[in-house]
Amino acid sequence: MTDVASRLAAKRGAIVRNQAFWGVVAIVLLLAINVISDPGYLSIGYNSETGHLSGNLIDILRASAPILMIAVGMCLVVATGGIDLSVGSIMVVAGAVSMELLSSMDGTTGDAVLTLAVALGIATALGAVNGVLVSVVGLQPFISTLVMMLAGRGIAKVITGGQNTTADNDSFAWLANGYIVGVPVVFLLAIVIVVLVALLVRRSALGLMLEAIGMDSRASRLAGVKRRNLQLTVYSASGLLAGIAGVFATASVMTVDVSRTGYQLELDAILAVVIGGTSLAGGKFSIGGAVIGGLLIATLDKTVVFLGIPASATPAFKAIVIVVLCLLQSERVRSLFRHRRALRAQSQKEAVAA
Amino acid sequence: MTGAPPIVEMTGISISFPGVKALDAVDFRLFPGEVHTLMGENGAGKSTLIKALTGVYKIDEGRILVAGEERHFGGTADAQAAGIATVYQEVNLCANLSIGENVMLGHEVRGPFGINWKATHRAAAEVLATLGLEQLDLRRPLDTLSLAIQQLVAISRAMVTRPKVLILDEPTSSLDANEVANLFTVIRRLRDQGVAILFVTHFLDQVYAISDRITVLRNGGFVGEYPTRELDRTTLISKMIGKDFATLRSLGSERQSHHYEPRGEPLLRTEDLGRKGSSEPTDLELHKGEVLGLAGLLGSGRTELARLLYGADKPDSGTVWLRGKKTDIHSPTAALAHRIAFSSENRRDEGVIRDLTVRENLVLAVQAKRGWFRPLSRKEQDALVRKYLTELNVRPADPERPIKLLSGGNQQKVLLGRWLATEPDLLILDEPTRGIDVGAKAEIQAAVAALAAKGVAVVFISSELEEVVRLSDRIIVMKDHRKLAELENGPHVTAETIVAVIADEGDDEEGDSE
Amino acid sequence: MRSIPRVARAFAVTGALALGLAACGGGDDDTSTSGDGGGDLVTVGFVAVGPEGGWRQANEANVQDTFTEEAGFELKYAPATNLDQRSQIDAFTSFVDEGVDVILLSATEGAGWEDSLRRAQEAEIPVILVDRGIEPDDNSLYVTRIAPDNYEVSTSVAQWAVSQFPDGGNYFVLEGPAGVSVVNERNKGWDDTVSSVPGLVKVGAQTANWSTEEAKSVFETVLRANNNDIQLVFAQNDEMGLGAAIAVEEAGLTPGVDVKIATIDGTRPALEALGEGRLSFVAEYNPLFGETLLEVVNQVLDGEEVEPYIVVPSETFDSPEAATAALPSRQY
Repeated sequence: MTDVASRLAAKRGAIVRNQAFWGVVAIVLLLAINVISDPGYLSIGYNSETGHLSGNLIDILRASAPILMIAVGMCLVVATGGIDLSVGSIMVVAGAVSMELLSSMDGTTGDAVLTLAVALGIATALGAVNGVLVSVVGLQPFISTLVMMLAGRGIAKVITGGQNTTADNDSFAWLANGYIVGVPVVFLLAIVIVVLVALLVRRSALGLMLEAIGMDSRASRLAGVKRRNLQLTVYSASGLLAGIAGVFATASVMTVDVSRTGYQLELDAILAVVIGGTSLAGGKFSIGGAVIGGLLIATLDKTVVFLGIPASATPAFKAIVIVVLCLLQSERVRSLFRHRRALRAQSQKEAVAA
Repeated sequence: MTGAPPIVEMTGISISFPGVKALDAVDFRLFPGEVHTLMGENGAGKSTLIKALTGVYKIDEGRILVAGEERHFGGTADAQAAGIATVYQEVNLCANLSIGENVMLGHEVRGPFGINWKATHRAAAEVLATLGLEQLDLRRPLDTLSLAIQQLVAISRAMVTRPKVLILDEPTSSLDANEVANLFTVIRRLRDQGVAILFVTHFLDQVYAISDRITVLRNGGFVGEYPTRELDRTTLISKMIGKDFATLRSLGSERQSHHYEPRGEPLLRTEDLGRKGSSEPTDLELHKGEVLGLAGLLGSGRTELARLLYGADKPDSGTVWLRGKKTDIHSPTAALAHRIAFSSENRRDEGVIRDLTVRENLVLAVQAKRGWFRPLSRKEQDALVRKYLTELNVRPADPERPIKLLSGGNQQKVLLGRWLATEPDLLILDEPTRGIDVGAKAEIQAAVAALAAKGVAVVFISSELEEVVRLSDRIIVMKDHRKLAELENGPHVTAETIVAVIADEGDDEEGDSE
Repeated sequence: MRSIPRVARAFAVTGALALGLAACGGGDDDTSTSGDGGGDLVTVGFVAVGPEGGWRQANEANVQDTFTEEAGFELKYAPATNLDQRSQIDAFTSFVDEGVDVILLSATEGAGWEDSLRRAQEAEIPVILVDRGIEPDDNSLYVTRIAPDNYEVSTSVAQWAVSQFPDGGNYFVLEGPAGVSVVNERNKGWDDTVSSVPGLVKVGAQTANWSTEEAKSVFETVLRANNNDIQLVFAQNDEMGLGAAIAVEEAGLTPGVDVKIATIDGTRPALEALGEGRLSFVAEYNPLFGETLLEVVNQVLDGEEVEPYIVVPSETFDSPEAATAALPSRQY
């Protein structure tokens, strides 16, 4: 009996120590708050007008797609001990390229495919520039990608001539707004891509190599790990994923807003990665955790609107949720709680004895 | 040593970790004015006992008396406040601060305007002077110094608080003979001032040179406490490990009587291989199945030469012929592709990746060689891991344990496994036995001998001259970043022979401190 | 094929980046000065907002086209970096240090300008606020503000709303970023009129940061939270109104029938949407007041007194027909 109990306790301890666990708890809590405010919050309905499933959960899934993309890219970069501040700017470049191309075309599916290829190609190239600056030139990741963050938005402005460009292409818009058997295409795509990346990383030895670089770059160099190639690969991948996020974001309204699209989303991505339990110091990483972090951020954004929290209080609300979450994840804070619980139990016991 | 009561008295100390009894009813006494050595293999419980004393680990059973009072410290800082200072095996200093800053870190002299740097440096100088290190430039950043000097700085740092008990956990593992002698002078001075010194080392010579008493541990258990002069070496070793000593002995005599006749084309030949500032142009030849020893003091250029051979540093002069073909080895990746492997002397920073598991550490180099897109299947990994964990007798043989939880000797064996798994034709081992226990040392030496027998060429670097002499077919003696002499090994060659070569050459020079 | 060369330009920029980034660190050369400018030209520093939307684009282009060298001016155009007030204050300060003759200021945020404006006053450089006001509105710190009247424009939207919903209804407000003076003024104009009508119920207000994408995301959730029971949206710019229209369509409702959307600005895409019936009311917030601005600058330089607030007249469009009629002549 006690053996089973202690094993269960050990398992529970492992789950609680898993940082992503607290992300899940936070999502559940936020959803619960929404349900209290409106008991029908979680219901998923069938909209006979449009033929789609609809509901708040579906909205959250759709809203999370771009964040998932950049969070996964960020996760890989962070694993190597780097950081990519340029994802938001690469998003706007991909969006600007897409909208400029599409606005000059006829709106066929072929145009959409071509545009997608060009936009993602450019995004990957920008990511590769980051990679070269970090791995070959040897600049610090923070600086290289900061430069790209500033330059990227400039490039987007050059591409659109400073305007917010609008375009029409149903196939392209379908990527963000379409449904397959009632489920949003954009979320299906995001999940497929996340799963592909996760498989690629964990089934190949890429994950191990990235962690090795992030944990100890000197030792991994001597072990023959090709740091340069790997860094180039992850920064390019992060660029590509940011490009996909940019396509998702702009296709949903078929407009690129050069000063707002992807603005400060790099912070959301970093947050998602950290919530998912990946240390910014590099090393061990968790793509599943980053996905949970991305979902949490989308849930948080949607909750703020759903509860009608005043615009001026929104940042404070988000900050409070995130600070509380990070505190819960901190080993030190948790042990403090354990300590107090133990003390209380002890004093109760003493009280009983007396 | 006389009638004085012990300053530290530990009785019946037991500590359990999940699944292991790390200490089992161990007794330990330390008197003022003695040097007391704690002996035992890695994993015997020496470090655990020290950590129990300083409060890093909580004890499950037993009593700790310090100066007659029962004490339980909350950690090293707490212990230090009570006059127990510790210097750990691995140097834990701030590489980017200066010597003076490191020594006084946390004990800076404060004036009305914050830290009084002048007074702080003066205090640091005083401490260094007691260690006989007054020649050191206080303002020099630590990372420009050799590991040996860093170790001495770490000891100076511990002396700042004028402790009553000084714990030295393998302080000599990276020092050369000169520096060890220097350190011992200081230890004796401290002992004569009444400081109680707890000393942990693997070097038997040092035990007999410095210590008054010995406590032996084995597998977490207490074997006994002996006055040093009543315990001869063979008895001591047999108390520590029992059986392995005989193997070690026979291996030595076997290798030394073995004489290697180089036949045909050398596996590796270099001409004028060098790098400005670290290695003078050097010629060398290496054949299949040969063990080439690189001997010399710390800082003599052994490591630098090895790094050039592996491409860890880029040579800027000379040519390398590998299997008769002119070859450019410009990176570790290239070296591995040419079946050259290199195990760095800096196990902590350039060897193990601490947060990865034993399995991941072991397969890393093979996997890097294959490229990440051709992963080793789990089955292949398991086969490799099982093979080398058994062959090298890694304990515990748990592939999924993070490597940082293994003892130094077992980490070193996993690293050796990492390189062997790449199936090298040339294996360069830089200080593979430093800071590990006698048992693991014997196993690693046996593995090297077995490799040579299988036709692998080995470059063997060690500060322990006996070891070089025991294992090598040929010995290159180095000094001041250049090759001094090349000796054919044989029964007539001893450690003294090599010392003589170095000494003859360097009569006119000052002591080599780096 | 209008835009292909732009994409090509982007490629060129990307390439140049790859080559030059490491060395230069990516300078932002948005600050265009009109070159050699002789000594007799009047130097005008324009602390601008930069890319924000169609309206701003038209407004700033109009100012740049007015203050030309031919007209006797050297215009230094300094747009904000990503709408950041910090970058505007820096630009403002360097204009004061350079000693330009006049400064035009379109502040991204209303508060926090007192120190900068006082420095300009000490340097005896007149400052004219273009479009955006400052908070608190201390008109001793600047010469005049030239703008269409936000209060008036949003009042006109509110009056339309009141006339459209005599029986009342639920409405939602999509605001710009919190704290911006435009947002406060447009809110006030709307609230002062609508609050007197008891049937019109405000179900909420959220910021969508002037962005179509955010407005769509916000409004889709707002519709859910209210079971689609919203009849009217007041979007404080065109872009957000267009985003709301997309959200309405995706919810299976028809904009203009189920949900009426009113916006402010009057850009071309908004008028097109009005023509298609997706928007129901567009109030122009006239950006083309370069000529008025030019006159005022000349008066100020000649030492004449000017009114502290000069209102630029604006139109409203309340039907598809009105939109269709206005579209051909729309410049922005």
